Amino acid sequence: MIRFVLRRLLAAAILLLIVLTLAFAVVALAPGDPMAPTDPRIPPEQAERLRALYGLDQPLPVQYVRWLGAVVLHWDWGQSYRTGQPVAELLFDALPPTLLLAGAALLAQYLLGIGLGLLAACRPNSRLDLSVRVASLVVYALPTFWVGLMAVLVVAVGLGLAPAGGMTSAAAFELGPVAAALDVLAHLWLPALVLGLSMAGDIARYTRSSLIEFQATEAGRAARARGLSETRILLVHGLAHAAPRLLQLASVSAPLLLSGAVVAEVVFAWPGLGTATLLAIQSGDIPVVLAATAYGAGLVIAASLAADLLLTRLDPRISVE
Amino acid sequence: MIPVVAMRLLAAAGLAAILTWGCASDTPPDRTRLTVGMRFEYPTPNELIGPSTLSYSAISNQFFLPLMAEQPDFRDGPPTWAPGLATDWEFSEDRLQLTVRLRQDARWSDGEPVTAEDVRFSWLAQTDPDIPWSYSLYKESITDVEVVDAGTVRFHFDAAGPTALADVSTGLILPKHAWEPRPFAEWRGDPGWFFEHLVTGGPFLLENRTPGQELVLGRNPDYFEDGLPRLERVVLRTASDGAALTNLLLAGEVDVATGLGATDAQRIANQPGLRLIAYSNRQFTFVSWNTRRPWFQDAETRRALAMAIDRQAMVDTIWHGYAEVGNSPIISSVWAHDAGLEPWPHDPRAARDLLAAAGWTDGDGDGILERDGVPFRFELATFAGAPARWDAMQMIQADLRAIGIDAQPRRVEPGALIQRMRDKDFDAAASAFAIDTSLDLRYAFHSRSIPGGDNYAAYANPELDRLLDSFATRLDPSAGLEDLHRLQRILHDDQPILVLWEPLTLAAFNEELESVEPNALSPLANLQEWAWR
Repeated sequence: MIRFVLRRLLAAAILLLIVLTLAFAVVALAPGDPMAPTDPRIPPEQAERLRALYGLDQPLPVQYVRWLGAVVLHWDWGQSYRTGQPVAELLFDALPPTLLLAGAALLAQYLLGIGLGLLAACRPNSRLDLSVRVASLVVYALPTFWVGLMAVLVVAVGLGLAPAGGMTSAAAFELGPVAAALDVLAHLWLPALVLGLSMAGDIARYTRSSLIEFQATEAGRAARARGLSETRILLVHGLAHAAPRLLQLASVSAPLLLSGAVVAEVVFAWPGLGTATLLAIQSGDIPVVLAATAYGAGLVIAASLAADLLLTRLDPRISVE
Repeated sequence: MIPVVAMRLLAAAGLAAILTWGCASDTPPDRTRLTVGMRFEYPTPNELIGPSTLSYSAISNQFFLPLMAEQPDFRDGPPTWAPGLATDWEFSEDRLQLTVRLRQDARWSDGEPVTAEDVRFSWLAQTDPDIPWSYSLYKESITDVEVVDAGTVRFHFDAAGPTALADVSTGLILPKHAWEPRPFAEWRGDPGWFFEHLVTGGPFLLENRTPGQELVLGRNPDYFEDGLPRLERVVLRTASDGAALTNLLLAGEVDVATGLGATDAQRIANQPGLRLIAYSNRQFTFVSWNTRRPWFQDAETRRALAMAIDRQAMVDTIWHGYAEVGNSPIISSVWAHDAGLEPWPHDPRAARDLLAAAGWTDGDGDGILERDGVPFRFELATFAGAPARWDAMQMIQADLRAIGIDAQPRRVEPGALIQRMRDKDFDAAASAFAIDTSLDLRYAFHSRSIPGGDNYAAYANPELDRLLDSFATRLDPSAGLEDLHRLQRILHDDQPILVLWEPLTLAAFNEELESVEPNALSPLANLQEWAWR
């Protein structure tokens, strides 16, 4: 197992290096000067000084080696061109809200998806089953930004059932720990639900098909022959049968969750990695774009690795060797 | 049985949601506090290394003060200045020196007095090449800042000029005793250091900061103006999107929202309890015709383009009326704007006639005009990420197509396009300028600004150069009004740029607030006077 993990970690490091190099090459070779002042009152000499300050006056290979060296040796991702803030510090602030949102969305998508899949599987080809299947396709097809906007307009602004945006209420720093946690939860549930909704449809369909498939297997028939209740057959044995496939979906949904988070964060004014990345892209803030790309790639690779490891635990047919 | 279990799972999820919603339920409004929604980033309280944005400087002005504050009365005449940290000031006879007396009652939040040493320290920092500050250009005319005594400072200039007060008052006065220990060369490396060593001298203190979410400003009890600020606390909340800000406002989670889009404003316009205001922001959006290209070399053709393009339609459809058709780079909200200029009317027939007179005909019958074998087909570029301008490009394309001109819109990354425009490596491009009230337009229209500069159209006119130079050296700008009118007339007739529109800035606030008067200089102007009724 340890050798497997080490092998995967090494592969992940190589993959990350490739992603970093490609990302650097793409942004470095893109046309445009990130230091070009957009305000005519800022003289070109200032841009020259800033270019020298950020090392942009050096040849590209030198810039690359310096940048990569600083990242690997000191976890120094440079400074934001836009705000002057160290990028590592900026993303350190932005990452936890995104992880919280993505984690809650993952939970929401599994709760919803498995629940709906169970409903559909217990009466295959019934009206209920058809409704679940159609609904799951519809939510899968709906773009997150539209669902998010509608959710804010109807649920938050119209009905007042949730805050309209942000991660906390105004001046929440004064709240005690319990009230602060509840305040974050109150702000979290709607964006997490919106973000989790699209993949929930996928999970519902996989859950349904796995459970129906299980009922037709020898194990399913044996369980029924032993007199187990339908509830126990589906909830315990059926879900255990479906678990590996559902887990694989988690690694597939990680990049979707991250890209969806960009949209959800903007719609819900959620202060995460997505918002930071979007602002950086809009303003040509290359160090932040590069770091956010690397963080995103790292998160996806980590999710994939975790899913693989869990899969080996859940499914004895899969060996790590 | 199974459905019941599944329903329980769903019910549990729903219950959790409802429980959490419970803690977000309505509470009585806190009238000692105001929540403002605006797009901002505030990575450091040190403006010399912070972002060059209006929202950033609006916030910084709550913590620090300039010597004098420019007043938003530029519609009535040349800019005037009100005392900030200075009580009064006096020019020497030759106007090469300006003596400024400071308030005796101004103190930093740690109790230290604000002195002339702070003023000199600020100037040294503003001009230090190791920092380097974006607006150090304003300090180029100042050769020295002399500390006369603790309460008096004297500015020395290399020449007498009309912008002396603007040059002196640009930039905030920084706390020498708190920030001097850090060498200037290290300022950019650690912007967060200034939060840890923050002492303020403005109307507010920084109570709390949650990066990416909010700043909490508290009333400075030692602020020198009696009874101000009127609010105990102001919470500034950020969102990266105008629609999100609007939602926060409509949901009652912010009391004021600034920097709204025209579409957002429509959602707010008729909401009870909210007041929408629109004000000039000193910007104008324009198309530069590169006069080095064969299509744009003569004024007749450029005038024809102006008449072919329906700018009122842009204002109506893109801005929903929250903008005005532009007519001059000296925009209509500025005192020197020539109100006698009539915008070129939208008249495609007259445009076609003008083009024919200028030699543009469709000789080969392909629907596109030609002159000397050159088809009237060009690239019309604008910045990526500027949706209003992109919409305008589509409308211009349709308008020009109707008179036989093929304009091909293209979005270009902003840095790349600016470089191309400065290098004159473009056909036509839409961009925007925000004019300052000095009205020194040499950077945009003087022939000296053609090579590598912001005279994008590469427009050279000796008479215009003379007018620009003459106005820039006038000690009394109002005496140069005739020159400015003549200058506008030349630009109007020659059309090196076509001014499309002057946008309005939109803000909305709770009707129970009073004295909320954002203006072109700051969305948080007079924040210390804002109050609940």
